[in-house]
Amino acid sequence: MKKLLIAFLVFFIAASAVIAQPMLPSPDKSILDASYCPPNFPLLKIQDKATDPLLARIVYSRPQKNGRVIFGDLIPYGKVWRLGANEATEIEFFQNVKFANVAVKKGRYTLYAIPTESKWTFIINRETDVWGSFRYDSKKDVARVDVPVQLQNDISELFTVIFEKSAKGYELQFYWDNIKATVPVSL
Amino acid sequence: MKYYKILLKSCLILPLAFTVIISCNSSVNRQDKSTSVSDTLKSTESINPYIALDQSPMDMSYFPNNYPILKMNGTDSFGPVARVIYSRPQKKGRMILGEAGTKSLREYGKEWRLGANEATEIEFFKDVVINGKTIAKGRYIIYCIPLPDKWTIILNTNLFTWGLHMDKQKDIFSVDVPVELQAPALEDFTMVFEPAAYGADLVIAWDNIRTVLRISTRT
Repeated sequence: MKKLLIAFLVFFIAASAVIAQPMLPSPDKSILDASYCPPNFPLLKIQDKATDPLLARIVYSRPQKNGRVIFGDLIPYGKVWRLGANEATEIEFFQNVKFANVAVKKGRYTLYAIPTESKWTFIINRETDVWGSFRYDSKKDVARVDVPVQLQNDISELFTVIFEKSAKGYELQFYWDNIKATVPVSL
Repeated sequence: MKYYKILLKSCLILPLAFTVIISCNSSVNRQDKSTSVSDTLKSTESINPYIALDQSPMDMSYFPNNYPILKMNGTDSFGPVARVIYSRPQKKGRMILGEAGTKSLREYGKEWRLGANEATEIEFFKDVVINGKTIAKGRYIIYCIPLPDKWTIILNTNLFTWGLHMDKQKDIFSVDVPVELQAPALEDFTMVFEPAAYGADLVIAWDNIRTVLRISTRT
């Protein structure tokens, strides 16, 4: 009986030593990243090379293709997608902008897309600090913009969002797998 | 007698199994962090022609913890209180903090961005009180000056900046907090809120040390 008790005791001590460790969070599988408009604004700023003021920032998570078929399979066509993983993608405008042809007031928003085979519908929505698109509410939409899908020769393993300077302002570019979608953003 | 043997065996095997499961998880989490580059540059690699994964991935912590999930589930009783956006460098066998000339990653007495890449950003969604001082709702960068026994934690208004040049003139608040021991030692730099009677503790932990910033929501 004594041995039995000792055995139990040893087990519980060993088990609790494992369980008692504080559960501080590990890095996410789809890591968070931020893209600025103008590109690399924080770096330019500390080098006093930022000629244009900060226009926008995107905070998004970067899932990987991992050999999967992305569009039409992992991300079904015709459904609202959080444009990444984890929390809904966040877009902040630091000035009033034109998102494609739609005027959007400065502020922090969530950004979604409805991908189809030929076009993506981008959605800017007022509800922030949300997880995914599970509670997406179209009544809180601020803008909806359709853009055509561009097929790429290069496969992008990681979901990637960047701003790039264009003739009329900036392009907000999305890449994943062999798909590219682009929205013009300007003052 | 047989039962004892089985029990004794399970005593050995179960914790072992736990450890294996946990270490498997962490090895999955630690992929894609091989080559070392300057932390001011993003590496490029063949799998992504645009931007590769950051060496020190960005992460976000809310208070209440996992606020976006609470909101999705409809279990948030009040709005968010705070959010931190920071980058998570890994120890990779290095000495993290040390005196000048010890080849530590960071020197005692020198400003540190609390992470990597951009300056770490903290947003308060409502006024809070830290060390008796009211901090107005809004967004700040947060950095520290570490010493062996205490860290000075500083809030600053110079937002959207890379974390290598702190504009001291834009400091709005500082407080000294004691250095505590962190067990188990952490490979990944971690900032996370823990609930406290007065509001929240912002736990800042890496390697074998941690500091805690006490944030009161009773203004």
